[in-house]
Amino acid sequence: MRTATFASIAAAVLFVALSPRVGESQTYTSLRTASGQPDVNGFWQALNTAHWNLEAHMASPGPVLQLGAAHAVPPGQGVVVDGPIPYRPDALAKKKEYAANALREDAEIKCYLPGVPRMMYMPYPVQIVQSDSTILMMSEFASAHRTIHMGSKDSPPADTWMGWSNGRWEGDALVIETRGFMGGTISALDREGAIQVRFLDRAGNYHTDGLRVVERLRRIGPDHLSYQATIEDPNVYTRPWTISMPLYRRLDANMQLGEFKCEEFVSDLVYGKYQRTPDK
Amino acid sequence: MNAFLFAGRQAAGVIVATTSVVLTSVIGIAQDRPSPATNGSYKVPRTPDGQPDFQGYWTNLTYTPFERPRALANKPFYTEQEAIEAFKKAVSDSTDQIVHYVNSDFGATPVQTGARPNRRTSLLIDPPDGRVPPLTPAAEKREATRLAAQKARGPLAQTWKDDRGTVWCVFHDRAVPSIVAPYGSNYHIVQSRDWIVMTYEWNTEHRIIPLDGRPHGPAAVRTYAGDARGHWEGDTLVVETTNFSPNRNFFGSEGTFTLVERFTRTADDTIVHTYTVEDASTWTRPWTVELPMHRINGPMLEYACNENNQDGFATLKNARAQEAGTLAPMDAIKRGDAKATITEREEQGAAKVLGGEGQDEKK
Repeated sequence: MRTATFASIAAAVLFVALSPRVGESQTYTSLRTASGQPDVNGFWQALNTAHWNLEAHMASPGPVLQLGAAHAVPPGQGVVVDGPIPYRPDALAKKKEYAANALREDAEIKCYLPGVPRMMYMPYPVQIVQSDSTILMMSEFASAHRTIHMGSKDSPPADTWMGWSNGRWEGDALVIETRGFMGGTISALDREGAIQVRFLDRAGNYHTDGLRVVERLRRIGPDHLSYQATIEDPNVYTRPWTISMPLYRRLDANMQLGEFKCEEFVSDLVYGKYQRTPDK
Repeated sequence: MNAFLFAGRQAAGVIVATTSVVLTSVIGIAQDRPSPATNGSYKVPRTPDGQPDFQGYWTNLTYTPFERPRALANKPFYTEQEAIEAFKKAVSDSTDQIVHYVNSDFGATPVQTGARPNRRTSLLIDPPDGRVPPLTPAAEKREATRLAAQKARGPLAQTWKDDRGTVWCVFHDRAVPSIVAPYGSNYHIVQSRDWIVMTYEWNTEHRIIPLDGRPHGPAAVRTYAGDARGHWEGDTLVVETTNFSPNRNFFGSEGTFTLVERFTRTADDTIVHTYTVEDASTWTRPWTVELPMHRINGPMLEYACNENNQDGFATLKNARAQEAGTLAPMDAIKRGDAKATITEREEQGAAKVLGGEGQDEKK
């Protein structure tokens, strides 16, 4: 089961902590909330191709011929700090299989909750609303949100799609440990809706219910956060590994999260074969 | 208005699926003293930003009917004793639903989740008869057309859109404005200086309300939850919401209503939530609802609706099977004349999958 120890995660975090952080200024002093916490409120968004593929990748055609260049894959240098992703040999074979069936296996296609850390670098804004005891992180995608329980050491009461997050401050850094993930849909769900594992990106990089994530967010300027996530899942990887990227503040006037109830846009796809065409 | 609410002691644990029934809490409520708010001396706690503090976990689950029963048309209030008796009767009369789940097994019935007696005989408090006001002639015509179109589609679900009456994962139609779900009608409120967020257990909705005085968004952008703007009036949070989606039907209004809500914390364990809806193209007058929100223990867990929507598949697959004559019609199943229920069929299907036989591909 979950054989990797917390020490191994801690070691990985330490490794990253000693590495230069993306764009991080060591001199920036974070703004504070009224109660004196580092202030991470606001609308944040990744500006990279991590949602296509966490690893370095060349440009390639998109998965749907008809969408042409509009949905083709832009190139990216990758966000994995200590790559390549250390897949176990059997898991790497499965990854290739899942990637080949991404249109069926990827939760994003079905508008399922994206999980962690994926929610943080999808091409949708994330709004953070911060109080002393709770930090909410809300994505525009599928109205997904995460509840960060500050100061909590609780174990997950149940497995969930977004996991159970305990947060704490380490200096100016917000450190979040998340576990208790669903590894896929329940086994009884109809095949049209079923997914077997959870994708981390559109390229088929995946995790199971063995996932444990340690994230580190820190203000590195008025409009930037540094974001790192160390990802552990002994069912899939031989060691913890880490992604790192900046998150940018959305400065749009009157910025707010839109309502993107994407289930409406995929229901004909998911339920199609059981539907009846009207007037037939 | 708060004089009419009871202040119970804090409800016993509320995590759905872990709480057991504590029926004695009903008796306990009868012995509790009236709310401190009844003498107007309650001092509303403040956030570090100095705003009234609404944070924490709350429920508005209740046994009080939304509209007033006709028999109580001229009786907006029970006496305290009548309210307790009505509450006890509602608890003992309530029959658990058998489709999907037995709610009490999950600690999810109102009495298990923190519902308390209410001296109101209905949640709808204005018009004075406690009923939704009559539709305008134009709205009546619109509703008749809609219902005729619905009837013409027949009783069997044709597409996923027809499954909205049971579990509709796109949006929880009872969330904004709240008309109280049968379970899971729980809130987690988090505040920063410029935002107040109400996450809602059923369907894991989040409602994000700006407090920074910004104008409403463009009228072209209409949403299920509407475009909410909040401001403080003394200790009361006032939220004005417009731009509701035309895909909604709220008591005859197809997203053209406006909503004004007031949230006032009247005790450590009580928020009084009132709202008024108005739509001159639908109702002959505005109407107002008062919902007590009671503090409950957290945390609140995820309600992954779309991800677990077996109901969506079952409804459509069984409709096709009923059309093909391979499954008994619903009325026969409901009468008990037909043995094969939807649940049994689904369980057989699930057993096949779990048994490694693969999915039944029969049309």
